[in-house]
Amino acid sequence: MVADEPTLARLMMAAQKGDKPATNVLLSEVGLWLERYFRRRVPPHSIDDLVQDVLIAFYTKRATWDPDRPFLPWLAAIARYRWVDHLRRVYKHETKELMDDDAAQDSEEEVVMARVSLDRLFGQLPQKQAEAIELVKIAGLSISEAAEKTGQSESLVKVNIHRGLKKLAAMVEKAD
Amino acid sequence: MDKYSNREELIAALTEQAAPVHRVMPHQGALLIGFATLVAALVSIMIFDFWTGMITGQASGFFWITNGLLLVAGVASTLTLVASALPRVGAKSSGAWWSAAMLAVVPVAALIMLASVEATHDHSATAFADPTLWYWECAAYGMVAGLLVAIAAVLFLRRGAPVALERTGWLTGLAAGSLGSVAYGVTCPLDSIAHVGIVHIAPAAISAVLGRLVVPRLIRW
Repeated sequence: MVADEPTLARLMMAAQKGDKPATNVLLSEVGLWLERYFRRRVPPHSIDDLVQDVLIAFYTKRATWDPDRPFLPWLAAIARYRWVDHLRRVYKHETKELMDDDAAQDSEEEVVMARVSLDRLFGQLPQKQAEAIELVKIAGLSISEAAEKTGQSESLVKVNIHRGLKKLAAMVEKAD
Repeated sequence: MDKYSNREELIAALTEQAAPVHRVMPHQGALLIGFATLVAALVSIMIFDFWTGMITGQASGFFWITNGLLLVAGVASTLTLVASALPRVGAKSSGAWWSAAMLAVVPVAALIMLASVEATHDHSATAFADPTLWYWECAAYGMVAGLLVAIAAVLFLRRGAPVALERTGWLTGLAAGSLGSVAYGVTCPLDSIAHVGIVHIAPAAISAVLGRLVVPRLIRW
């Protein structure tokens, strides 16, 4: 059971004053809240890294919480910021692979990550972009195989993947 | 920050470092930016001298309207950007964008006026040949003054935790350009609509674009 908003807010006020026991309890509770937050957003194996990343950001930026405002929306904004950053890093890595022309050699891990992160947003992409990402980044086809299957040129497949991934990152960033 | 093998270790390490913090408050950022604007204005006055036409009634209505709108756009974007230093979900104020849109009316009006004068073929009127229209040094000085405002804004944002970097970049550029132009503007005796309406508003537009391009990488955290 994760602590409720008033409890977290009280702990946070104490943590801002340097209270170590309160900081310890708060970090544990925030860790649990973040775990639940990311469970619906990233693959299971990435959750712990992301939770640790956000805990560090949370701790470093704790001076930016205003006690007159609710705590959880503040925490959610930090979590979403780090999540978008995480997605950017994944996409940047994948785009680099596309440029290197070895997209078919993606590890299983990255394919699963792409599946989980992109699935729910696919519906909002133009069909050709979604199709190119689906075939190359999820089904694991090579650029030339995807080009043959979709009737698009190889360059167009690359462009569609690149633009599609960029658009997905932007969608996540803009969503409130 | 060191990499920890598990969450418990990380939490223990962070707890050990726990110390009181000074809260980041938006009004601190607003004061810092206001102070930077004041310093920019004083430095401009020291270099170029205060334009006394402002107090002797020589300044035209265009001068007051343009500088007033620049000030409103600068204040609105400053207030929005200092609020954006604190993470929050939703609640995005659009006041700064509306003030920028109002500011944009001035150069459009100036261009329409100049074009209509040209169309009348009135050789006694100067229109686009007005030499003050081409005195772009003012835009450059306004941008240099705005740089001081931008530095103050970035220093404050780096203490905070902005989560919408691109938007904050636009706002920083808009605030810096608008306030910088006002800060320099108190020394400029050229008050035709062609000059203040175009040359003095240009720094706000140029800085907004530069802010969007440069600021996000300076405030990323």
